[in-house]
Amino acid sequence: MVTQSVQRVRIIYGCLVLVIVIYVIRLFYVQVIEYGHYKAAALNDQLKAYQIPATRGIIEAYDGNSVVPLVLNQKLYKLYADPPLIKNVSKTAAKISQVIGGNPSQYEKLMHIPHTQYVVLARKISPAQNKKILSFQLPGINTLGRDYRVYPDGSLASQVLGFVNSNGVGEYGLEQALNKELAGTPGRVRAVTDAAGVPLAANKGNIQTSPVSGDTVVTTLNLPMQAQMEKILKTDYKKTKSQGLSALIMNPYNGQIDAMANYPTYNPSNYQNVTNPRLFMNAAVTNAIEPGSIMKTLTTPAALDLGVIQPNEAYYDPMHWVINGFNVHDIKPDGSAREQNIASILALSLNTGATWMLMQMSHVGGTQINMKGIYSWHNYLVNHFHFGKPTGIQQGYESAGYVPPPNPNDPSIDLRYANTSFGQGVQVTALQMGAALSSVLNGGTYYQPTLVSKVITPSGKVIVDQPKVLIRHTVKPNIGGELEPLMENVVKSYLRFGFSFMNFPSNYIVGGKTGTAQIAKPNGGGYYKNLYNGTYIGFVGGDRPQYLIVVFNIKPGTPGYAGSYGGQPVFADLAHMLINDSFVTPKT
Amino acid sequence: MRPQRKSIIAWLDLSPGEGVVQLGRKHKPDYWLVTACGILLLIGLIVIYSISPALALTNNVGNNYYVIKQIIAIVLSAVAFFITAKIPITTWRRSYKALLLLAGFATLLALAIPVNPMYPAHRWVRFGGLSFESVELVTFAVLIWIAHFLAERIRTNTIKSLRKTLQPLLVALFAMGIIIAGVQSDLGSTGILVIMMGVMAYVAGIPMKRIMMIAGAILIVLVLAISAVPYRRARLETFLHPDTNCQTTGYQACQSIISVGSGGLFGLGLGNSVQAYGYEPEAANDSIFAIYAEKFGFIGCIILVAIFGLLFARLKSIAERLPDDFSRLLVVGVLTWFSVQALVNIGGMVGLLPLKGITLPFISYGGTSVVFSAAAIGLVYQLSQYTALKVPTSQPPSSSDGRRSFHRNTLRRADY
Repeated sequence: MVTQSVQRVRIIYGCLVLVIVIYVIRLFYVQVIEYGHYKAAALNDQLKAYQIPATRGIIEAYDGNSVVPLVLNQKLYKLYADPPLIKNVSKTAAKISQVIGGNPSQYEKLMHIPHTQYVVLARKISPAQNKKILSFQLPGINTLGRDYRVYPDGSLASQVLGFVNSNGVGEYGLEQALNKELAGTPGRVRAVTDAAGVPLAANKGNIQTSPVSGDTVVTTLNLPMQAQMEKILKTDYKKTKSQGLSALIMNPYNGQIDAMANYPTYNPSNYQNVTNPRLFMNAAVTNAIEPGSIMKTLTTPAALDLGVIQPNEAYYDPMHWVINGFNVHDIKPDGSAREQNIASILALSLNTGATWMLMQMSHVGGTQINMKGIYSWHNYLVNHFHFGKPTGIQQGYESAGYVPPPNPNDPSIDLRYANTSFGQGVQVTALQMGAALSSVLNGGTYYQPTLVSKVITPSGKVIVDQPKVLIRHTVKPNIGGELEPLMENVVKSYLRFGFSFMNFPSNYIVGGKTGTAQIAKPNGGGYYKNLYNGTYIGFVGGDRPQYLIVVFNIKPGTPGYAGSYGGQPVFADLAHMLINDSFVTPKT
Repeated sequence: MRPQRKSIIAWLDLSPGEGVVQLGRKHKPDYWLVTACGILLLIGLIVIYSISPALALTNNVGNNYYVIKQIIAIVLSAVAFFITAKIPITTWRRSYKALLLLAGFATLLALAIPVNPMYPAHRWVRFGGLSFESVELVTFAVLIWIAHFLAERIRTNTIKSLRKTLQPLLVALFAMGIIIAGVQSDLGSTGILVIMMGVMAYVAGIPMKRIMMIAGAILIVLVLAISAVPYRRARLETFLHPDTNCQTTGYQACQSIISVGSGGLFGLGLGNSVQAYGYEPEAANDSIFAIYAEKFGFIGCIILVAIFGLLFARLKSIAERLPDDFSRLLVVGVLTWFSVQALVNIGGMVGLLPLKGITLPFISYGGTSVVFSAAAIGLVYQLSQYTALKVPTSQPPSSSDGRRSFHRNTLRRADY
């Protein structure tokens, strides 16, 4: 028999062995049986997915024959502190202010903020400053680099371009519409990381794909023309006491926009400081208004195309029509009932004349509006001239505009449609107007208006943006040739009326049409009495119309008709600029 | 009669006591004991070395900071080992009062010194860059004192006396409970001390019934202590339902069992620990077993447990074969100390016990723990030279004085 104490040692030891066996069983359970569960729990904590940002594509434009950048990227750095890690606050603050300026005590204050591990000390510091600060190896101080957009031409074409917000997403303009192409594809990392989220170098489970940079977009914009246009808009905005001025110059033969601008505008590099978001809007694309009499440049070709009127036809104009119990008359009710012709409908801007065209669509020779006329005019508005739907140009927030539905049960449908014949009760953007008239002038092809000339992929592949035909035959090919002299006649008439700025050199053709558009009250109840928008649509060319110009002048404050005194002078300035700066090829 | 005033030297009583048994001839020591400890130290150092980059990153120190400190600790522990192995065991036994005094002084210092905000418990004595955990010295001193005290009670045949044996033990328990568990709030170390004392008392022959009664009383106090303080209740709740508290109070417990479990059968490999990179708190200290388990898997854990098992088996074997009560009780104390500490630590890592901030002997980073563990092993190493070849068998107590006779065992050599 062993002694009692040895026996007790053995009992204790036996207990110990028993407990160890329990531990081994537990280890087996945790590490072998429940391995899957704990492995999943570990990866749930450890495995994190990251994105490596792709370099955003740049935006370029034409300057003569060369292509120059309009939007570039620059890597700038955010300087931040992890306050608890800073060893010597005053010394650290002094060194930082030495490199990037600023008051050291301000930095010290930031570094003393309690209960935080992240305080931004400065934003947008340059690569050189970044390098210098990092070279000090200050504990608790670090930087984070990010691409920022830079604009070599300042605010030039800003509303066409849009900007990139702090999340790297394009907003407004091209940046928004082409965000996908410009942004590229971010790289992906799926990696086992440390607790702070930094990937651990060697791990079998790590997955990585490299980022693909965004495409370079070459716009159709002609930079010198764009710059001139913006200068003119700025001047005319003041001259016409405007509340908003939009204009565009486009090529009627392929839908390419050469220049497009609005005033007032903003500087995209300081977009954060803009308080009124309306400034971000490219109103030429986003703002649909009742265009007024410039619509007659489309009513006329529609009636000509239908064959219900002839270009040199005369008709009896009563100076007012009573439709649905309302008087339809001209904006300037001068003169008396007499015989008029198609040219004077445009030159004198006869609303009764435009209404008469709708009557001819209803019944040739008649003086009534019926659903046949309404359906065919609606068909032209929507299916030939593409109103009431966005053109699909590469811009954010494009407006579709509005065309009233041809509802036969509407008791005032006749009046409603009589109004549309001279551009009231229908809403269009400057761009829609330009694209529709382009199709008439170019022989009947509706090109989708575009701002992109070509796209260059990161691999260097150049994709030329081909003109895209949306509608094949808006009007017959000869109609443009019939409309052209009618619009040239308008310009000559205004010169005769005494608008001397409408005098153009004889080796150029210039045609146009004014619009003095009534403005509907926002909550119904008819139109404002003394408030108009001044619009203008016209062309400049040599042997044929080369540029098509649209001007929308919102509520100009100049006395006289808004179209003649608000829209027309801006058109004239733009047309003269195109001629004087040799953008137009003269007659041969 | 006025009590005689004694000088402190006289009180310390460094002369050999009456009951001190002279051990027999020396023989070869137990080399397995040292080998097992050496392997454990080496494993600890390798794990610390392999997670050094992670530790450097997490704690903002140099790459070799922890390795160098641990190597210094190992060198110091070698010194401690040689001191305890070479200075005769009788000298250590005689110095128990001096050691207790020193331990008490260290504890007072730890209480007096302002605390590090990172570890707000009064557990550390710091001078210069060195720091030292007072409770390790207390454990070492109590080990020698209890062994001596109980051996004396056996010799004077008063081991079952309530007044002479149980009362002083309960006073000591109470004092340690107040200071270490109460003020230093080091429940883990107190637990080790109490269990160590209890096992030594049990082996010394205190009836099981009394030990169970005391254990019951302690349990009641423990339950009261836990239920009275909200944060302790929360901890218990955390232990019982670790999964629901993973992001808050149960974070360390959760991460530990995740580390262990994600190691699987074979582990991720020496250099591939992920949990050390900021997920597992105290990766080099209290949680080193979890990191080891993540690296080496179930197979590695079995090997580690086997090495600990070897150490415990040697300690048990030495304890059995030692000729006198003091030596046997001392070795039993060491066995209890290390095994309970290891089991409490690992139990916390695998979710069997609540987490207590104590280290894994020989493996964990931390100088004090390693040095005092080595010192205790040094004592056992010395004693292993005096073991008998066979386990002593019970003798009828000598008729007159009740002393036990070891005359048949003491002089036998265990080894040649």
